[in-house]
Amino acid sequence: MSGEVVMARGLTRVYQEEAVPVHALRGVDFSLSSSEFVSLSGPSGSGKSTLLNIVGGLDRQDEGIIELDGEELAPLSEGDLAALRLRKIGFVFQAYNLVPVLSALENVEFILQLQGVGSAERKERAGEALKSLGLSELQDRRPGEMSGGQQQRVAIARAIVTNPVLLLADEPSANLDSETTKELMELLRNLNETQGMTIITATHDPMVMGYAKRQVHLRDGTVERDEVVTD
Amino acid sequence: MSANLAFQLSFRNILRHRRRNAMLFAAVAVAVLGSSLSMGLVRGWQYDMLDGVVGNLTGHIKVHAPGYLDDPGIQRGFELASDYQPDVPSEDLMGWAPRISVPAVILSERETRGIQLVGINPSAESISFLDKVVIDGENLSGPGDGRMIIGKELARQLKTRVGLRLVIMTQGSDGLTRERGFRIAGTYDAEGTGLEKAYVFSGLQTIQSLLDTENVTEVSIRLNEEPKKLSIQALLVDFFIGLEVMNWEELNPQAAGLYLFTDSIIYIFFFFIMGALIFGLVNTLIASVMERTKEFGMLRALGMNRRTIVLEVVIESVLIMTFGMIFGLVLAYFSFLGLEDGLNLGVWAEGLESFGMRAVLYPIMRVDDFVTIALMSLFMGVLASYWPAKRATRITPLEAMRG
Ligand SMILES: Nc1ncnc2c1ncn2[C@@H]1O[C@H](COP(=O)(O)OP(=O)(O)OP(=O)(O)O)[C@@H](O)[C@H]1O
Ligand SMILES: [Mg+2]
Repeated sequence: MSGEVVMARGLTRVYQEEAVPVHALRGVDFSLSSSEFVSLSGPSGSGKSTLLNIVGGLDRQDEGIIELDGEELAPLSEGDLAALRLRKIGFVFQAYNLVPVLSALENVEFILQLQGVGSAERKERAGEALKSLGLSELQDRRPGEMSGGQQQRVAIARAIVTNPVLLLADEPSANLDSETTKELMELLRNLNETQGMTIITATHDPMVMGYAKRQVHLRDGTVERDEVVTD
Repeated sequence: MSANLAFQLSFRNILRHRRRNAMLFAAVAVAVLGSSLSMGLVRGWQYDMLDGVVGNLTGHIKVHAPGYLDDPGIQRGFELASDYQPDVPSEDLMGWAPRISVPAVILSERETRGIQLVGINPSAESISFLDKVVIDGENLSGPGDGRMIIGKELARQLKTRVGLRLVIMTQGSDGLTRERGFRIAGTYDAEGTGLEKAYVFSGLQTIQSLLDTENVTEVSIRLNEEPKKLSIQALLVDFFIGLEVMNWEELNPQAAGLYLFTDSIIYIFFFFIMGALIFGLVNTLIASVMERTKEFGMLRALGMNRRTIVLEVVIESVLIMTFGMIFGLVLAYFSFLGLEDGLNLGVWAEGLESFGMRAVLYPIMRVDDFVTIALMSLFMGVLASYWPAKRATRITPLEAMRG
């Protein structure tokens, strides 16, 4: 059934910051099967974002191998990586997820437009994605007219409208209160359970971790624990 | 697809910053208006000058016998068939005039002056300044008219007037001196230019019989469009074998140089005004791009390529340029309508006349000048935005999002 969505072996990443090298990742092995919901946790600076960015094709490792959906990323050009992100990954960032001059519907739609989907199909799919997350009544609002939680939910709608193989959410709830965070995480869990969406989140927040079925704990750029949570 | 998106985003962003973009828009409009007006006025001056040169009996193209220019005289005349018609497409030809033009001396009771005696066919002279001058008294009635018309200034210097008779002496085709009395039919007013002192006109046939010749010394050809002069000159060269066929630039290199110089003045104006505008435009675009660093980083992280981002910024700039330019051109158009009766240079008029300019300047807007302004503005819009846009995409999406 479910193939490997992510396969990482011996990933290292060193940032050269003013002569002092920062070892963000020191040899990380990490695999992820389809329909998994993983939470990356660990102290600040442990390498969560770095790992997530390499998996998502936004950053490159210095050593090791990374494959996404069976395709090795290292040989890809910058343009190929951008195309791969567009086709295969749904991103939910911590902030600045939405284009301020576009409505909620248009913010979901434009990613399909980038994929070359025709206008009618675009509108329909974007409308459906918003509806499935209970956001239909917000579709004409611009980001400035929505709360932080609403904006993050629209970002999730945009992330899933392309049917990506993987949804990446780096601290999606960092700017949200706990009530809104709960709603957001329930939404992600629901996506994972009903649609089999493969999800990786990175967070400090124990409540956010609690929604994932698998916990990968990083420390100093290595995997300290990797465990499946059983209810 | 992504071009559509870039267009949509550009348009929305322009509307989002209405105030800032309205000011840019107004600046573009004013700059375009300013360049159009200055171009039009300089063009007007340039055309005025050309008109003066071409209308000075020169025409766009003139045919002489070899050597006539160095030593004008009836010995250097040539035969022109009585049924001659220039072999020039009729839509290009404004008109043509055969003439005899020889040096002569005019004598009044008290004064003597050296002049150029020109035998003309008055109806053919619609192509020269004679068509526009005001004549006191009567004009010549035809090529056989035995009277003359002289300039107002010459009449003043000779202390003579319409109706009186003066003697003109010149050399006949046999080299011997001829002398004949001419009654003044009228005096012409060439706005005080040197023409008034230099040229005395009589009927072509009258002068031919005075000089004992069937020949003419020149054929002057005026075209509807100046730029056609070279191709038509080539046609005439083939016809007038053995004669000199020259265009106005060759006949008057000084004026030609000035004409060319004027062309560059037009562009100097344009680049000065537009340069100032571009400076403002680039600054505004840099600010607007910097503001959106995170947004651009996010879009690229999602998979939008650099080209689309650059396109968005360039379209934004070109849109502002286009609308400002259209508005500026419309303003310019109405300003030109308002100036149709000419711009009176009033107090400066006297100084300017000594440069061969008239007191009233008629701005001229050529369609190709409008098009040049439009295209250059767009090109500058692209140029001004390309660099800020490139700069915006130089950093990686991650760096951009981190801010
Ligand atoms: N672009 C960069 N340049 C230099 N150093 C970097 C860069 N990105 C990350 N680092 C460093 O690499 C290490 C790992 O960073 P990373 O962002 O992956 O940690 P994190 O686990 O996501 O932390 P947080 O919980 O604070 O988000 C940190 O020490 C960080 O300072
Ligand atoms: Mg992080």
